Amino acid sequence: MIKVRIPTPLRPMTGGKSEVEIAGNTVSEIIDNLGSAHPGIKERVYDEKGEVRRFINIYVNEEDIRFLTGKDTPLKDGDEVSIIPAIAGGS
Amino acid sequence: MLAIPSSIIKNMIAHARELAPHECCGILSGTEHTIAEAYRITNILAALSEQDLTRFDGAKLTDLQRLSPEERADIAFQMDAREMAMAQRDIRSKSLDLLGFYHSHTFSPARPSQTDITIAMEFESYRAKLHLPEPFHLIVSVEHSDQPSIRAYRIRESKPTEVPIHTLP
Ligand SMILES: [Zn+2]
Repeated sequence: MIKVRIPTPLRPMTGGKSEVEIAGNTVSEIIDNLGSAHPGIKERVYDEKGEVRRFINIYVNEEDIRFLTGKDTPLKDGDEVSIIPAIAGGS
Repeated sequence: MLAIPSSIIKNMIAHARELAPHECCGILSGTEHTIAEAYRITNILAALSEQDLTRFDGAKLTDLQRLSPEERADIAFQMDAREMAMAQRDIRSKSLDLLGFYHSHTFSPARPSQTDITIAMEFESYRAKLHLPEPFHLIVSVEHSDQPSIRAYRIRESKPTEVPIHTLP
């Protein structure tokens, strides 16, 4: 199982949990399975074309998947996936 | 105390003026209490879908939903995640730290808004797990464009504390 960190804005879909355990061998499988377990979440991570939304970074451990092999990045037991929205703010 | 080279202060103010009335945003690298470099990051707020806007909290979300996409960038910013990741990678390759974030306020003073505080706390909730140091939050106000002001803060437990800026030559 892979530990997946859920950002604050998506926690309503995980019943308030900040971490969930999901099975999967790649990042893509994790997001699919996360979407099955917690409906609505996959649509918030991917855009209409199935790409990671422009304000979201996905990390495997401490590395952004853009610098690994993207959604195909392989995972092994003990890896941690973090879904993290880039910094925002306002006035 | 936060030490910032004058060239970087000028660069942040120039960035804020160039994008006004839209907010600008960027990240800062350095070591401990000294900034080494600024990275301009695109404010993608105007390009976000209605659904994407829900990453903002209650009151800000309501305000954003009332405005046209273009106008939204006048009161908020969202950094482009890819550019932010690229900048972080460059920072690491130079053996520097991600030391802070900056953005502009185009219609208000250089003080953190409720949205700034909420999102700073969101960042705080996962920062340690990514082994990042506590960031400084800088705000450039170009509310009075002939008198820009820039202030730095630490935001702890939802409370901003101003950190004096020391300008390096
Ligand atoms: Zn702000």
